[in-house]
Amino acid sequence: MAQITAGIACSHIPVLGFAHDQDKEGDPLFKPAFDGFRWTREWIRAEGRPDVVVLVYNDHASAFDMDIVPTFAIGCAETFPICDEGYGPRPVPEVVGHPDLAWHIAQSLILDEFDMTILNRLEVDHGLTVPLSMMYGRVDEWPVRVIPLAVNVVTYPPPSGNRCWMLGEAIARAVASFGEDLNVHVWGTGGMSHQLQGPRAGLINREWDNMFLDRLIGDTQDLRHVPHIEYLRETGSEGIEMVMWLIMRGALGRKTRCLHRHYHVPVSNTALGHLVLTPVDGTVPPSPTLEGNRAAPGH
Amino acid sequence: MIDIHEYLAEFDDIPGTRVYTAQRARAGYHLNQFAMSLMKAENRERFRADERAYLEQWPMTEDQKQAVLVRDYNRLLDLGGNIYFLAKVFASDGLSFVQAVSTMTGMTVDEYQKMMLDGGRSPEGLRSTKEGN
Repeated sequence: MAQITAGIACSHIPVLGFAHDQDKEGDPLFKPAFDGFRWTREWIRAEGRPDVVVLVYNDHASAFDMDIVPTFAIGCAETFPICDEGYGPRPVPEVVGHPDLAWHIAQSLILDEFDMTILNRLEVDHGLTVPLSMMYGRVDEWPVRVIPLAVNVVTYPPPSGNRCWMLGEAIARAVASFGEDLNVHVWGTGGMSHQLQGPRAGLINREWDNMFLDRLIGDTQDLRHVPHIEYLRETGSEGIEMVMWLIMRGALGRKTRCLHRHYHVPVSNTALGHLVLTPVDGTVPPSPTLEGNRAAPGH
Repeated sequence: MIDIHEYLAEFDDIPGTRVYTAQRARAGYHLNQFAMSLMKAENRERFRADERAYLEQWPMTEDQKQAVLVRDYNRLLDLGGNIYFLAKVFASDGLSFVQAVSTMTGMTVDEYQKMMLDGGRSPEGLRSTKEGN
């Protein structure tokens, strides 16, 4: 049976991809940011070793333009080419998917009343490739299969934090019902304070960011009720990306433990956040549709 | 239950911030699709060769075209531009995010970069226009 063994939260700042690709990890400007991933790189190779990562991220006007804006989309393809975001594609390996698990998750989520968009062709941008570089460094091929899960956090309204948490719970149910033995991670990427636009650009709120990190650990579920406006007021317009971390958190169940934590300001325009969590009690509520309906009176 | 009007009104109360609401997405559709077209090298060349002629191919408003020509990014946001799409315009100009974003703040690139290195802009006083905090 497939099992979710860890959740990783990680900003997906494009300049970190650039610094990685240009061998600038030791540059004084970038070193403090990269140092916080050393622990994770060792752990993921030694103990973490996921077979598959469900990687929650957002497309940045790369694969999707304004013609089609899916709230939640899941990559079911065999492979995902690296997108040219205007500077040429990043020199990293093509991302290999896990279509069997991806289709299983897609169909499970739809029966669980999440209207997923199914993607059989998808080029992935820095939102997905930067976290992979942070966790694995330079490799000839990614030592893991990846299921991209793209969330709209660009065109308003994005999904609510509560909806994201519930989606995470539904992913946990879907993974648990997959027949093959697989070690699965769920990663939530993007986020922490940043505002890339307008006269208020450059906003950073260390205190709020750290409060958010604190509440991903343990058994509190406060974060699912944080409204969009609070992310925007407190952490800048692009801080809204943190809702994607709640999909990861929801997938880890009732209670988590923190294995590693890293926070650094600034990287380019933003704060950098990174957490490695494991489930202590991975219980998630039963499906409100499949199991709930079955138990309904008169059914 | 969320009242959509209250939900949207709150976004107008954040100082110096333009949220990409449905209304802006509607107004900026062609502007953003124009920007997206600059993902292709051949289009960047055509745009550089004659910006005005390139813009004429898109059913954008004259205000939007003018704001692109003078690279007024705050104005473009007001007219429905989205920062991730507008990034294609400043990438075509060879500008980084930090360089382009600083032009929206009234600071020089150096001042903006120094502010970031010093820990970024404090949210103190910049959370709400109405509340003044």
